Amino acid sequence: MMSLVWKLLRQHISIAQFAGFFFANLFGMFIVLLGLQFYNDVKPLFSQEDGFLKPEYLIVSKRISGMSVLGAGESCGFSEKDVNDITSQPFCKSVGAFTASQYRVVCSLGVNGVAQMGTDMFFESVPDRYVDTDLSKWKFNPEEGVVPIVLPRTYLAIYNFGFAQSQSLPKISEGLVGMIDMVVVLRGNGQEQHLQGKVIGFSSRLNTILVPESFIKWSNAKFAPEADLTPNRLIVEVKNPTDDAIVKYINQHNLELENDKLDAGKATYFLRVVTVLVMCIGMLISILSFYILMLSIYLLVQKNTEKLRNLLLIGYSPVRVSLPYQLLTVGMNAVVLLLSFIILYMVRGYYMNTLWAMFPQMQDGSLLPAFCLGFCLFAVVSIINILAVRNRVMKIWNRKE
Amino acid sequence: MDKIELHNTLPCVFEGRDVQSEVWLHDVTFQKGETYLVEANSGTGKSSLCSYIIGYRKDYLGNILFDDKDIRQHRVSDWTSIRQHSLSLLFQELRLFPELSALENVQIKNGLTNHKSLKEIEEWFQRLGIADKMSAKVGRMSFGQQQRVAMIRALVQPFDFLMVDEPISHLDDVNSAIMCDIMMEEAHRQGAGVIVTSIGKHMDMSYDKTFRL
Repeated sequence: MMSLVWKLLRQHISIAQFAGFFFANLFGMFIVLLGLQFYNDVKPLFSQEDGFLKPEYLIVSKRISGMSVLGAGESCGFSEKDVNDITSQPFCKSVGAFTASQYRVVCSLGVNGVAQMGTDMFFESVPDRYVDTDLSKWKFNPEEGVVPIVLPRTYLAIYNFGFAQSQSLPKISEGLVGMIDMVVVLRGNGQEQHLQGKVIGFSSRLNTILVPESFIKWSNAKFAPEADLTPNRLIVEVKNPTDDAIVKYINQHNLELENDKLDAGKATYFLRVVTVLVMCIGMLISILSFYILMLSIYLLVQKNTEKLRNLLLIGYSPVRVSLPYQLLTVGMNAVVLLLSFIILYMVRGYYMNTLWAMFPQMQDGSLLPAFCLGFCLFAVVSIINILAVRNRVMKIWNRKE
Repeated sequence: MDKIELHNTLPCVFEGRDVQSEVWLHDVTFQKGETYLVEANSGTGKSSLCSYIIGYRKDYLGNILFDDKDIRQHRVSDWTSIRQHSLSLLFQELRLFPELSALENVQIKNGLTNHKSLKEIEEWFQRLGIADKMSAKVGRMSFGQQQRVAMIRALVQPFDFLMVDEPISHLDDVNSAIMCDIMMEEAHRQGAGVIVTSIGKHMDMSYDKTFRL
């Protein structure tokens, strides 16, 4: 019997109008979902927490001028007076010095026992209390001969893109740092020693190769006992990293702040702006397509008013008469939702492969937020459709059509 | 539903006019099981009366009561239930669906309650002489044939009252008699009241009461 009602009410359905709605809505929905999904997938890359340095630690160095390169300007190291001056500032909680290795370091890096890259290097350390990691790992014992090392994150990118790619070697994610073998050769003071390096992590805020303070003390004493230990960089613990006084002081004293956090913050901001923009466009398309659907439905009901009225007069309830059109719209919305998910899944698979190639450390995010958003949109649009159809039929019942 | 009462009912458009009628502005009761003829001239509000009773229009003064309940108080669900189970109307303008076949027009109504079997429906088509038109689109049938389809459709539901609005205006006497027989058979089977309206030619049968509208 429902099929008879449908046979009646499907008269005047315009395939062109519904197809127009269908594709416009599909397009809009897909853009909205893609915007959200892409934002969610990419955001962690910008907001990665640095496990080794708390945000309230700033790294300060002297600005290198042309004169200092020629050796005629002021020294680029911090004197005791400089350090005391910074310590006395109100924004400052404590100051620690970077201590550099004063001997020759040759380091070769390999994966799974095969040495791949070798280079001259240097080490630096900061007082242990500034290192935000499990301190049991952050120790050097001369008898064991294993040096824990924190590398700048850029090194990982250099290896993954510059090196692994051209030599067809496996790419390394941060989770697989254990695979990196590092052999460290120390030379100085007429001695040479081979040690094993162990990379325990990466930092995006430290532009140095960080080792434990105990190791630097031991090795400087052994390989360069007479060297001058004036620090080139300081680590400053501040009360509030966004304090204006810090920037003022830094500028006044011709210092430099190593702060890549700011860039990530900017990038995240732009990412958010672009995402919101894209989602708004998608939303606009969706709303317009929804408008097309409503107009089509209204037109359809208008054209079939007489049939609907007769059905009501011979005993059909408004609920029953509304049902075919409600099912039609909800069904279309559901198909749009499903197709959007499928297309989103495929497109995401494509861009995620590219992102993984660029950032192997990236975690596989979830599709859940996009699913939820899609489902919410579906629910809202469907409910409005259902109510609109019902409302139109009731107008016929009340003889207002 | 046992009775339909009209208390001082008058179509709004007649307000202020000198109305000569045995129905309008009177207290009239239709009892279940009885047969009534409402005779009318054109423009005296015959179709309006049918529209008020079926709940389609409300532009009247006074009250109409089903079993002592004012029908203005009926909700949508009440009306749906009444139209399915208590009151059947053969519309003067028929209100068939021209896109559907004759049988489909009947089935779309019968499907609500499954009151009649296909066999019974086919038998009626047979008796009314339109068995060969069962699968023909109603839009292609003559008005007289459509009137017979509409009558069958009016009968395929349970009812306490059957209202037929000028049912035989386009039928010859033979077919009118057959239609009258079928209608009264079904009305007796259900113990229902029958209200027939007419503007001249009316079904030739015995009425319990005749009103001049």
